[in-house]
Amino acid sequence: MRKDKNTAGRDKNTTINPFVRGAVTILGNEKHQSISIPLFAILLSLLAGAIVILFLGKNPIDSFISLLQGSGILPKAQYAAKKNMLTDFLSMINSLTPMIFAALAVAVALKTGLFNIGISGQMLVAGFAATVTVGYSNLPMAAALPLVLVVGIVFGGAVGALIGWLKHRFNINEVVSSIMLNYIFQYIISFFINSYYMNPVTRQSRQVSAAARLTLTDVELYGLKMDIPLGFILTIPVAFLVLFLLNKTRLGYELKIVGLNRKAAKYAGIKVGKSMVISMAISGALAGLAGVTLYLGTFASIQPRVLTSVGFDSIAVCLLGNAHPIGILFSSLLITIISKGGNYMSSMVGIPQEIAQVITGLILLFSACGAYIRYRVELAKENIGNGKLRIENNGEGGQK
Amino acid sequence: MDEYIVEMRHITKRFPGVVANDDVSVSIKKGEIFALLGENGAGKSTLMSMLFGMYEPDEGEIFIRGKKVKITSPAQATQLNIGMVHQHFKLVENYTITENIVLGQEPPSRFMGFLPSVDIKGSNKKIAELSKRYGLEVDPRKKIEDISVSTRQRVEILKMLYREAEILIFDEPTAVLTPQEIEFLLDIIRELRNSGKTIILITHKLEEIKKVADRCAILNRGKLVGVLDVASTTTKTMANMMVGREVSFKIEKNPANFGPEVLNVAGLTVKNQDGLQVVKNVSFSVRRGEIFAIAGVSGNGQIEVADAITGLIPASGGTISLNGNDITNSGVRERTVAGISYIPEDRQEVGLVLDFSLAENLAMKKYFREPFCEKGILNNEAFEEHGKRLIEEYDIRSGQGISTTVRSMSGGNQQKAIVAREIELSSELMIFVQPTRGLDIGAIENIHRQILAQRDAGRAILLISLELDEIIGLADTIGVMYNGEMLNIAPAETLTANQVGEYMMGVKAE
Amino acid sequence: MDIIIIEGLAFALPLFIIAIGGIYSERSGITNLALEGFLGFGAFIGAAAVTAFTRGNVAGIEVQMFFVALLFSVIGGAVFAMLHALLCIPFKANQVISGVVINILAVALTAFFTSQINSVIFGKPTNKFVLGVCEKFTVPGISKIPILGAFFTDVYYYVPIIIVVALFASYVLYKSRFGLRLRACGDNPHAVDAAGVDVSKVRFIAVMISGALSGLGGICFAYSISTSFSPSIYAGYGFLAIAALIFGNWKIGPTLGACLLFGFARSAGYKLAQVLELASTFSDIIMILPYVLTLLLLMFFSSTNRPPRALGEIYDKGKR
Repeated sequence: MRKDKNTAGRDKNTTINPFVRGAVTILGNEKHQSISIPLFAILLSLLAGAIVILFLGKNPIDSFISLLQGSGILPKAQYAAKKNMLTDFLSMINSLTPMIFAALAVAVALKTGLFNIGISGQMLVAGFAATVTVGYSNLPMAAALPLVLVVGIVFGGAVGALIGWLKHRFNINEVVSSIMLNYIFQYIISFFINSYYMNPVTRQSRQVSAAARLTLTDVELYGLKMDIPLGFILTIPVAFLVLFLLNKTRLGYELKIVGLNRKAAKYAGIKVGKSMVISMAISGALAGLAGVTLYLGTFASIQPRVLTSVGFDSIAVCLLGNAHPIGILFSSLLITIISKGGNYMSSMVGIPQEIAQVITGLILLFSACGAYIRYRVELAKENIGNGKLRIENNGEGGQK
Repeated sequence: MDEYIVEMRHITKRFPGVVANDDVSVSIKKGEIFALLGENGAGKSTLMSMLFGMYEPDEGEIFIRGKKVKITSPAQATQLNIGMVHQHFKLVENYTITENIVLGQEPPSRFMGFLPSVDIKGSNKKIAELSKRYGLEVDPRKKIEDISVSTRQRVEILKMLYREAEILIFDEPTAVLTPQEIEFLLDIIRELRNSGKTIILITHKLEEIKKVADRCAILNRGKLVGVLDVASTTTKTMANMMVGREVSFKIEKNPANFGPEVLNVAGLTVKNQDGLQVVKNVSFSVRRGEIFAIAGVSGNGQIEVADAITGLIPASGGTISLNGNDITNSGVRERTVAGISYIPEDRQEVGLVLDFSLAENLAMKKYFREPFCEKGILNNEAFEEHGKRLIEEYDIRSGQGISTTVRSMSGGNQQKAIVAREIELSSELMIFVQPTRGLDIGAIENIHRQILAQRDAGRAILLISLELDEIIGLADTIGVMYNGEMLNIAPAETLTANQVGEYMMGVKAE
Repeated sequence: MDIIIIEGLAFALPLFIIAIGGIYSERSGITNLALEGFLGFGAFIGAAAVTAFTRGNVAGIEVQMFFVALLFSVIGGAVFAMLHALLCIPFKANQVISGVVINILAVALTAFFTSQINSVIFGKPTNKFVLGVCEKFTVPGISKIPILGAFFTDVYYYVPIIIVVALFASYVLYKSRFGLRLRACGDNPHAVDAAGVDVSKVRFIAVMISGALSGLGGICFAYSISTSFSPSIYAGYGFLAIAALIFGNWKIGPTLGACLLFGFARSAGYKLAQVLELASTFSDIIMILPYVLTLLLLMFFSSTNRPPRALGEIYDKGKR
């Protein structure tokens, strides 16, 4: 009697509607979860964004299409002289480049269990150092470009290492020291720009020489005038390099142990403090690359007293990409498309530009819930699984 | 019917991958001491956690005093006058004893005459009285972080009594106590029953059941094997029912054959984070072919001795030498390479990286050497081969072979993996800390065999355990630590369990 | 000297109340990097309420509107903090990540709604709500005492309010039943659960209080430093508050010391720049003073720091 009642109750649970069952099947596949769950989060947030846009009385489909048009993925209805989809696309890639490096920087630190919230500061230091040393020199392009990269890597890496060392030596939480250093560098560099390198018209630092710029500007090709971001060429190899470092090298193995379990790392004979300094140095070096591709690439000057938002957005981009170098390539692309296309969407559809930022925020919000989605999916899977188990058991019981 | 104060009928509880309780029914009479016997993982704690409202059963019903109830939270269990002393004490370290006891049922007072606040002064008094009444002396103003394990347990018992619990559940209460403390606790338990309380005792120790329990339910792999009247049953029968097969209590041991000294610790002193000395001037040595066991109640500095020898924490005084070489200031890696294996107390927090694969974990002490690593590049095949070989040789069971995430493995197999990895280092000195904690009898036997095999192979073994039986059974030489000091070192055959127990409580030898 | 004290206090106290908010959250076991977002969003709600009520014309009713703004900021901060609480508690998200995401979201949402509201009310989508500066008062008599008197001269209205709120917050945290439970949650949530107290509920409320206090601090900054609400509110004060509370070892008393030190270092720096008649560009160098000081002090004090034992751990009833 009792059993019958329970089985009935169980049956009710097993008749889960096919939509949920389908979602669970797709999201429940552990092999693909690292991709399917972020995609699910993106889908949810686009849906939420669409609802906001509907509330504003505009058409969400048109809005999303204009986002793609603005970033050169889809063709616009009309173009200004010497512009077309390709120039828009290259301009988007130009903004994408620093984002990828910055997000990779976050990822390396994160794998070591460190939270590098000081990317913006490291970018600024690297960008400023490269600007004053190489940017204002007369070096020819062949010498200047590699030098810009080297200076960026060295200075960014040095700041990162400093943060790691402060943690190692003085137990200062890296979040706090990063924030303090962000302010300190921001003001010091502002002082130098204001005192020595100011362009009084633009209220920014003087432009770097074209030879030292990582983006070729106003290149006339096929009757078009375009910006060619040379830095982008490096992004994919660097992403794979980071992947290789983390998965195939002794150093990567050590960094990951430190990130997953600091006590076990020490137990295994790994020098935890040294690993943290190295990890932060690598993270800072990548942030340095982001800095030079931003300040001597996307732009050619530095605005004093302003930290770029790329540094903070990159944290979120990294998380969206599951802190995986290849995932980051895609998540950077997505976020850049949204922010780059935001302007065009705003002017075409007539909704405020800030909506793009809001959608980005929502994507991040939902992707932060990734663990929860995974947990719910597991739970649902169990439910379905248990239902099956129960029925099988009953069958056995019947035979006995 | 109503003579039973607690009835659990047809309880089933599933966790991912396991059925922790499978159709278990037990009934407990008012005023009896009812024991739940079973190996680790048999489902005793799970069953009682459901009675205490920490989990809800998937199937089945619970009746308290004849009334059907659904217990969804500890708060509700408390209302039903059910109390529980958990195996891992649930105490707030930086609070006083009083604050811990009243937490959740704080007596009100007024701060500055009008703001509602907690009456700490009144509570201090009340708890002092309560502790006197039941013979559980404590100083209510002391902080938990400053009191001993057995006092902490008293606090847990007082917590139940403060809440006027009638049904008291004790989850493995003797695991952390010395023989003398155990006797004292069993007296208290009897006392509580005599004052009308109903006691449920979860344990895997047969003698305790024999000593205090009236009836006993035996669980095996989540299933109820039987309910016995303790007085009319032999321990042997209970043991066989618990394990599901014949068990031998004896550890077979070959005669010792000591070689030259491997480890020498002289005047070792260790300070904790607060600068307090937790190890005070400890000296001892371990020879080849010798099992040197350190006995002691948890938290008396034994773990710190092991951590200092392996380099996880610095020594603030004294010297440590391995084969005559001073290693006091060497790094962890250098010591490992010089010949120290270490099975740490906490296998999940220290010994393993739970989110790494089994193969990666098995190579954790060797990954930097060839063939695992050449010029900084890792060789996956070496990891795989090494992993496969160890799984085979040490019978490590895992879902997906070497690529299994260690987190998903059972505690016993996790421990096997650590033991395999450390033995494979072929170190001259092997340190085992609590090697069998939380394992079932089969796994315990297996580990004990491995330890003895290593001793017979001429390794020097330092064993640190809270289980007195384990120490008495395995050790060639026994040292007892109390309050950071090594009180006595003597050949194992010259000591009885009771003598060791006395030292563990700080009674010094003349 | 007086001006250093007056301005220092005006900066230190809002920072202090935000840091207390952080202490509430972190002592309950929830890492809170979202203070920056809380204070910005709280201030936004307060400023938006004032703008909506007055349609930009605050002349004559500044004081009343100031209190309206306070009230709405506190509510706004608390409501927005629910997002962090939701993510961290039932959704079991990583608390550090949640904090970062919430900061980003706060910037985006407030920018979006500010321009929306402005375009509805004024027909212009600007990114700013003008508030005016907070009224000040001077206590007659006491203010004449040298040095000490400066603490009673030209005091912003919010200063006594914050002092009262801070005192009350200390009482709740250290003396009340709720405070006892809250601090226990940050040390050992399992003990709290076993004692029959709902850990999630305590933590949820703690995070909301953290939002309410941050909102209060945020609107005070909006009224004193910038006299308006704009994206410039996100100047990192929330992170400074975090530094202050870590520096203060998660205790209210020492945190006050950290905030005062910070405030006075800042106002002294400004004063120094004036006295030395430095070129305006040098003010940048002076500005780094509080940050350098914090970093240096952290070097000395961080090693003895003891964060709450269960800080950042996701509490799962089933696990032991």
